Amino acid sequence: MCFKTLPVEFDERGNATLRGGIPNPYDVTVAKPDVALTEDQRRERIERLVAANGHIKDLNMDPVTRIAGALAVHVTADTDKQAYLDAHAQATLFRGYEVILMGRDPRDAIFVSSRACGVCGGVHAHAAAYAIESAMGICPPPMGTVVRNMTEAAEMGYDNPLHLYLLAGPDYSEVILKASNPELWPKAESWRCPNADVHGYTTMADLAAALNPLTGQLYREGLEFTRLSREMVVLLTGKYPHPENVVPGGVSTTLTLQTLNEFHSRLGKIFDYAQRMLAVWDDIPAFFYEADERYQFVGYRPTNHIDPGYWDDPYAYDATYENCNAWGEKRWSTPGVVIGGELLTTRLTDINIGWEEFVEHSYYEESATTRYETDMLGNPISPYHPWNKRTLPKPGARDWKDKYTWACTPRWDRQVVEAGCYSRLLVTAMAQKMPESQFMSATGSSMRFVIPKGESGEREVEWHAPVRWNAFERNRGRAYHYLFSQLVALESLLEAYKLMKQGETRVAALNPKELERAIPMDERRSVGWWGAGRGWLTHHLVMDKGKITNYQICTPSTINASPRDPWGQPGPYEEAVMNTPIIEDVSDPARFTSIDMLRTIRSFDPCMPCTTHAYTGDGEVVRDVNTCSCGAD
Amino acid sequence: MADRQTRTPRQQDRTPAEELLEELGPVDRYHDYESLGDFGMPARAMTDDLLSGMTRPGRFGPLEKVHAFWFAGASCDGCSVAVTGGTTPSLESMLLGAHPGIPRIALHHPVLNVESGAHYLRAAEQAVLGELDAPYVVILEGSIMDEVAAWRAGGYWSAQGEEPWGPDGELRPVSATEWIARLAPKAAAMIAIGTCATWGGVPAAEGNPTGAMSLMDFLGKDYRSVLGVPVVNVPGCPPIGDNFNETVAAVLYFLQGFGPLPEFDELGRPAWLFGETVHRRCVRGAYYEEGVFAEEFGDPECLVEIGCWGPVVNCNITSRGMINHVGGCMNAGGACIGCTMPGFPDKFTPFYKRPPGSLASTTASRMVGSLIRPLRKFSNNNLNREVRWDRQGASPSAFSREKSEPSALADVGHRFYDKVRRANDTGRNDADVWGKRDEAPAGGSPNPRV
Ligand code: SF4
Ligand code: SF4
Repeated sequence: MCFKTLPVEFDERGNATLRGGIPNPYDVTVAKPDVALTEDQRRERIERLVAANGHIKDLNMDPVTRIAGALAVHVTADTDKQAYLDAHAQATLFRGYEVILMGRDPRDAIFVSSRACGVCGGVHAHAAAYAIESAMGICPPPMGTVVRNMTEAAEMGYDNPLHLYLLAGPDYSEVILKASNPELWPKAESWRCPNADVHGYTTMADLAAALNPLTGQLYREGLEFTRLSREMVVLLTGKYPHPENVVPGGVSTTLTLQTLNEFHSRLGKIFDYAQRMLAVWDDIPAFFYEADERYQFVGYRPTNHIDPGYWDDPYAYDATYENCNAWGEKRWSTPGVVIGGELLTTRLTDINIGWEEFVEHSYYEESATTRYETDMLGNPISPYHPWNKRTLPKPGARDWKDKYTWACTPRWDRQVVEAGCYSRLLVTAMAQKMPESQFMSATGSSMRFVIPKGESGEREVEWHAPVRWNAFERNRGRAYHYLFSQLVALESLLEAYKLMKQGETRVAALNPKELERAIPMDERRSVGWWGAGRGWLTHHLVMDKGKITNYQICTPSTINASPRDPWGQPGPYEEAVMNTPIIEDVSDPARFTSIDMLRTIRSFDPCMPCTTHAYTGDGEVVRDVNTCSCGAD
Repeated sequence: MADRQTRTPRQQDRTPAEELLEELGPVDRYHDYESLGDFGMPARAMTDDLLSGMTRPGRFGPLEKVHAFWFAGASCDGCSVAVTGGTTPSLESMLLGAHPGIPRIALHHPVLNVESGAHYLRAAEQAVLGELDAPYVVILEGSIMDEVAAWRAGGYWSAQGEEPWGPDGELRPVSATEWIARLAPKAAAMIAIGTCATWGGVPAAEGNPTGAMSLMDFLGKDYRSVLGVPVVNVPGCPPIGDNFNETVAAVLYFLQGFGPLPEFDELGRPAWLFGETVHRRCVRGAYYEEGVFAEEFGDPECLVEIGCWGPVVNCNITSRGMINHVGGCMNAGGACIGCTMPGFPDKFTPFYKRPPGSLASTTASRMVGSLIRPLRKFSNNNLNREVRWDRQGASPSAFSREKSEPSALADVGHRFYDKVRRANDTGRNDADVWGKRDEAPAGGSPNPRV
C-alpha cells in the first residue's frame, strides 16, 4: 500500500480503486498531507523574528548564475542566528512549447519538444518518441532501443561533468574558498587528500586550485570530457544537443561497424577519468564534514525521491501502458518512489496515478478538469493529473503569498519529492531489480561497480546511500551516476555488437510511409517515461483524429524548483535552503555572500529552460490568453 | 484590434524595441552596491577581475579586451551548450585571450560567471550608462518575446535580474528583451546566435502564445551598431558551436588588422559558412546523383525520400561536423529538417515526409542513375584489379574465391576504355628515356608504355 494521502487502495490483483464514501476525494481540502509548518505559521514566525532583531535580511538573488536557464532565489536570512528563515525559488522564463505542439501532427512532437531543453538535448526527443510509440502502439526493434540507450548514456557522460566542474565545481574552488570561507583555507592547505593517489592532488588546497573557474586543471579537463562524450552522441544522432535521429518506432541512425568502433574507442578513455572523478567528489565531502559538522546540513532534505527509470531492456520494452510495470522494472535504472527513506513502489502505474500538478503559486490560471477519471487500466487519476490538465499561462505581478514563479508544483501522493540523477542510484540500489551485469549490482543500500581497466587497472567501487541527503551527497551521487551511465553505455555497446553479429541491425519498426498510415484517428492517451541529466522526465500526450490535443511535459527541475503547494509545503530547493545553516562568517553582514545557499541550490543542478514552459492550455484557451494579455493593443 | 503578431513593419510606426522602451519609460536609478555588500559574490570579486591578469597587450591590433554580454530570451540554452563544444577556437581560449591576435573576451554569461544576482548585472548597468572600460558586443540566444503584452498584464515572459527601475526605485524584474533594447544603441555589434534569435525559431512557431520574434524583427531594418554593422546572424538549432566561435574570431581578426573583412550575406549570415546548400557537401550526395534512395530509417542511401530538405537548405554541417568534425545530420542518418532556415519549423512540417518538391529531381536522377550506375560498377570492377592480375589472368585474394575473372566481353571493354583513357597520355610521346637501363631488370615488370 503505497499511498498515504490520496484515498487510493489496491485489490489483491494490484488494481487501484478510490476508497469509498469520500465526496470529492481529490479536493485539496479533503486529501491533505501532514504538514509540519503551515505557510501562515512560517510567516508569523518570520514576522516575530523581524520585530525582535535587526539582523534579518530580505534579499532576492536574481539571477542565480552557473545553472542552466533563468532562476532567482529569494531568501530571508537571519545573519545573527545564522539561518535561512524563508526561501522562494522563482523560474523566470516562459516559452510555451506545449501550446505550440497542440493541434499539430504527432510526428512533429519529437523535433519540436526537443527544443524544450538544450542542456540535455536528447532527452525530450526520446521522451516524446516513447509517448508517441505508446499512443500509436509501435515498438522499436532491439537495435533501436540499444542505440537509444547508447545515446542517452553518452549524453549523461557530457551532462554530469558539465555540472560538476563548470557549474558546481567553482563553489569549492580556491578563489571562492579563500574569499568566502577563509577560516577553512589553512586547513585545506594541510589536509591531505585520502584519494591523492587516484586524482593526483596532494592537499585539499591543490584540489581546490584545480577547480578554479576557467584556469583550473579539473575545470578544463571537465570541459574536454564533455566534448568527448558529445562526440559519442553525435556519432549516433548527428547533432547535439538536438538529435536528428530519433523517430517514432526507433532511430534513423545508419549504424555501421565503424560507428560502434568509434564509440568504443572514445568510451574507453572515460573509465580512467571516472576513477579520478569519484576520487575528487569523495574527498570534497570528507574535507568539509571534517572541517565543520554543520556542512552535513547544507542543502539537507529528507530522503524523498522519485524516478521513472531510464534505459530500457531492448527485449522487454513493448511500448504499451498495459505492460509498463513489467518492462519498467527491467530498466537499467529501476523506477520507484522513496519516501522517508522507504521504497514504496517500483511500479510505473503507481508513479503515474499518484502524480498531480498544482498552480496556486505559479503564473497560470487554474483549470484542472475531470475529463479522465482513470488511466487506461481503470486506476483512478486526479483532476490535477497531467492528462486532465489545462493550465493557462498568465504573466502577472510577483507576490510571495500568491504567484511568484513560472514553475508549477508537481507532487506525488501530495508529498514533496525530489528528482535527481542520483535518485536513480538510490531507487536502483534499494529495489535490487536491475538486470544482471558484470559491472553493476544493487545491494539494497548501495550500488557496487566494477570500473573496467584503462591505463589504470580494473577497480571495484561502491556507492552507499547517504544517511543524510545534502549538497555534498548530491554532488557525490552525480559523480557515481557518471560511472553508472558509462557502464550502461558499455553494456549497451556490447549488446549492439552482439546484435550486429546476429544480423539484427534493423533500427526502426516502420518506414516513413508505414508511419504515416499508422497514425490512429481515435482518441489515445499515453505517457513517455524517461530521464534527464537531473532525473525524472515525463511527456503526457493526448491525441485524437490524428493530431495532438494535449501535451504536458514534466521535468526534474520543475519538480525541484516548485514553489509552495496548496498546503504550504515548500518545494525541494526552498526546503533545502531553509534547512541550510549559514556557516560563512557573517559577523559583518555586508560580507554575507550567501555561499551556503548557492552550494545548496547548485547541488540540484538546476536546469530551468525546460522547467518553465511546461504548462499550457489548449489552442482555444491560448487564444483567450493572447486576447487578454494583448487587450490594450 | 490588430493582432500583434501579424502587423507588418509598415503598420508599425516604431520598431518593437522602440515601442517597448517607450512603454517602460527612461531609467536613471541603479543598484547601490555599498548596501548590497557581497551578497551573491562568493569570490568577493567579479569573474572579470579574477581573469584580469590574463589581459595582455598583444603583437596584433588595437584591442586587448572586449566585453560580451550574453542574454537568453526564449531559449533552451542549446546555443550556449553548442558554443562550449566549439574548438576553433574554443570558448576557454577566447576568454583567456589564449591565441595570438585574440583579445581577451570578458564574457558575461549566466552559465559561466562566478558572481550572481545584482553583481552579475553590474557590467550591463555600466554599459547602459556608457561607463564600461572597453567596447562591448551583445549576443542573444533565444527569441525575443513580446514583453509589451506581458508588461501590460503586469508580468513578464523572461526576466534576467532586477533593477530599481520601478516606481520610487522599487526593484522590478527586467526582461532580457528590455536589456537588449537598452544595450543595442551603444553596442559595437549585436549578434544573434541560433535559429530562435536569428529568425524566431520554434518559440515563434504557429500557435505560440508569447509573440516571439527574432532580434532583427525586434531592432528593425534600420538598426546599425556603433561600428555601423546591422544584426549579425549565426543560425542553427542548435548552431554548430564552431560556426559561432569562428565568426566571432573572424571579426576580431579583422579588427586586429590581419584578417580579411568577413563577408555577410543578405540576411547577415557569415557568407563563407552559409553560402552553400548542405546537400552540396552531403556525404550521401552521390546516392542522390545515382538515383538511390533510403526507404527505411537507418538505410545508408540518400535520405530525401524519408524527409531530407538538404538540397534547399543553407548549412555546412556535413562538411564541418557538429563537434570536433564528428557528427553531422546526414552523416549519422538524420534527415535535414532545415533548422538553420528562417522558415523553420513551420515550412518543414510534418517531419519524416519527403519534401514534395523533390519529386522532379529524384525522378530525373533515378533515370540518369540507372544508366551511370552500371557503367561505374563496370569501371570499379576493373580498378579493383592489379595490373599484374590482368596480365596473369587471375587474382590471388583468398577473400574472392567466388569472384570470377572478367568475361571476354568485359575484357574488350576495359581495353577499349584504357585506349580512350590514354589517348593523349604524353607518356606515349617519342622522347627517349635515357635515365635508366633499357631492359627490364630481372623480375621487374615490362614497360607498360611499349
Ligand atoms: S541526404 Fe539530404 S542532403 Fe544528403 S544527398 Fe540526400 S537530399 Fe541531399
Ligand atoms: S543539416 Fe539541416 S537539420 Fe541538420 S543542422 Fe543543417 S539545417 Fe539543421
